[in-house]
Amino acid sequence: MEPAIEVDGLVRSYSATHGMVRRRRSTVEAVRGVSFQVARGELFGLLGPNGAGKTTTIKILTTLLLPTAGTARVCGLDVVADTRAVRTRIGYVFGGDRGLYDRLSGLDNLRYFAELYAVDPRGLRARIDEVLDLVGLGGREGDRVEGYSRGMRQRLHVARGLLHRPEVLFLDEPSIGVDAVAARELRAVVAHLVEDGTTVLLTTHYMFEADQLCDRIAVIARGSIVAEGTPAQLKDQVADDRVVEVQVFGIGEAEVARVRAITGVTSVIVEDHEQAQALIVHCERSLDVSAEVVAALDGVRVGSIATREPTLEDAYISLVTAAEDG
Amino acid sequence: MTARAWLRLVIVGGRISYRALFNWTSPLMYIPTLLVSPLLGTLFFAYLGRYAGGRDDTFYVLGNGLLAVAGPCVFGGMMALANERRYQTLGAVLGTPAPRGAILVGRAVPYVGNGLFTAVVVTTLAALMLRVSIRIADVPGLLLAALAAAASCTAFGLALGAIGMRVRDVWVISNTVWVSLWLVSGANVARSALPDWLEVVGGLLPISHGIDAARAIAGGSPAAGLIAREVALGAAWAAIATLLFRTFERSGRRHAALDRG
Ligand SMILES: Nc1ncnc2c1ncn2[C@@H]1O[C@H](COP(=O)(O)OP(=O)(O)OP(=O)(O)O)[C@@H](O)[C@H]1O
Ligand SMILES: [Mg+2]
Repeated sequence: MEPAIEVDGLVRSYSATHGMVRRRRSTVEAVRGVSFQVARGELFGLLGPNGAGKTTTIKILTTLLLPTAGTARVCGLDVVADTRAVRTRIGYVFGGDRGLYDRLSGLDNLRYFAELYAVDPRGLRARIDEVLDLVGLGGREGDRVEGYSRGMRQRLHVARGLLHRPEVLFLDEPSIGVDAVAARELRAVVAHLVEDGTTVLLTTHYMFEADQLCDRIAVIARGSIVAEGTPAQLKDQVADDRVVEVQVFGIGEAEVARVRAITGVTSVIVEDHEQAQALIVHCERSLDVSAEVVAALDGVRVGSIATREPTLEDAYISLVTAAEDG
Repeated sequence: MTARAWLRLVIVGGRISYRALFNWTSPLMYIPTLLVSPLLGTLFFAYLGRYAGGRDDTFYVLGNGLLAVAGPCVFGGMMALANERRYQTLGAVLGTPAPRGAILVGRAVPYVGNGLFTAVVVTTLAALMLRVSIRIADVPGLLLAALAAAASCTAFGLALGAIGMRVRDVWVISNTVWVSLWLVSGANVARSALPDWLEVVGGLLPISHGIDAARAIAGGSPAAGLIAREVALGAAWAAIATLLFRTFERSGRRHAALDRG
């Protein structure tokens, strides 16, 4: 059986003009030769930093954007040549606050899209109730969307994407803006769809979400795929590491450089948290550098310190920083 | 897609999209904008005509009665497409497999009905207030002329709306067009009295042939040819609207413009 999604050498550049008087044109290479395949029934994650080209890739796969070069097929159908046939088989959720008819109720938004997707009118109301229930909007469907909260809008986007039972579902940051409980429910919904045979391509900035849901993940940075594999395989890339995480208050360049210089340390990342910072030190598995790290931090207030196994997030960060530095 | 689904998209879909996209659905907007204003306009020109020794009241009642379709049809047709931009729903709609013809027809139908309704209300009220009598036998013909004007005017509005899918400030064009129709449609000034080029412009815009037809009917002369002209003009505008819609859909996919606000 052919794969659900086949992307081959996909390229997309945007051109923009600047300035009112002296018009200058510039080109952004958003996607630079991306290739991957997603098998039927697989849940595939596309992870990458802001501006990496995830949304651009999904827009091409959902026929909303033409590629500059390369090809993409969904259910064996070319997204440029067989646009209409692709559209009947896919659903997509871009989410955000916009993209809904504010003056209509949630129910009427769904009704309109049900007509556009030619959902069988028999059983339509039951189907609408079903998706409303899935996303937890039941009871509020009669209210106008202009009165919906951000998370409710996001749920309505998801409901709309599911309405016509698509074979392949594209979810671009589906859990953005929804509360923790709803996000958990949404993950369950997605997992359930995949159990029923739906193919899902998901982007998210939440690593635990990707780790929990995805069968396979591609990491994209600056328009190119820098790694691909199961969550376990990606973690394996940093499995030779041990991670030392130190809570520090007001660390400077000099201290970071001193930590970097310790023998056995492979990478050092500083994350800003609310009041403190987290110093994340990767080192060779056989070594315990905690003592040296604390020594190198002489003069900086140090909070908690912990040594742990690398997570998907560690793997992701090390892949992305390597790609962005390179 | 089956014929039945196509029809549902036109009728059910059209009705929902009307509520979604037409800004003046509430009575508080609808009555003053689409009924009271054109009625006052009719009275204004009729009294001006009496005072300045212009045409008789029938001339103004029929002219302005038909011109009343311009509100719901030009503006409605525009909103039916251009407001997708306001809600940023164009990407969602165009990403569906729905046949574009059914989307466009479905969006047009409510405004054609609306246009016919406003024309009937304004003409009737103006005729009552000015004591203009309309022969019962003329009513079917007049309704047909109003229907033709409403249809061609909606097609024209959709063409402007299609431009609005791409250009943010089409509302400036529509306001200008609307005001110029007072002049060039022949509702208040016989088109033959206009400079040649304005007469030509009026003939290419919707409503003018419909008005000619209505006056011919009231005057007892044949009007079928005039109604046919209005219909043909409407068909031409519908073709232009479809072409623009398709063109902007295609170029939107090329230039990533489908989700711009
Ligand atoms: N319509 C557009 N016109 C011009 N440039 C664009 C357009 N859309 C995206 N870009 C550029 O293309 C690049 C990739 O953007 P894209 O939206 O695909 O990133 P992303 O991976 O989805 O990021 P995020 O995680 O922030 O959603 C960015 O540099 C962005 O500025
Ligand atoms: Mg994105």
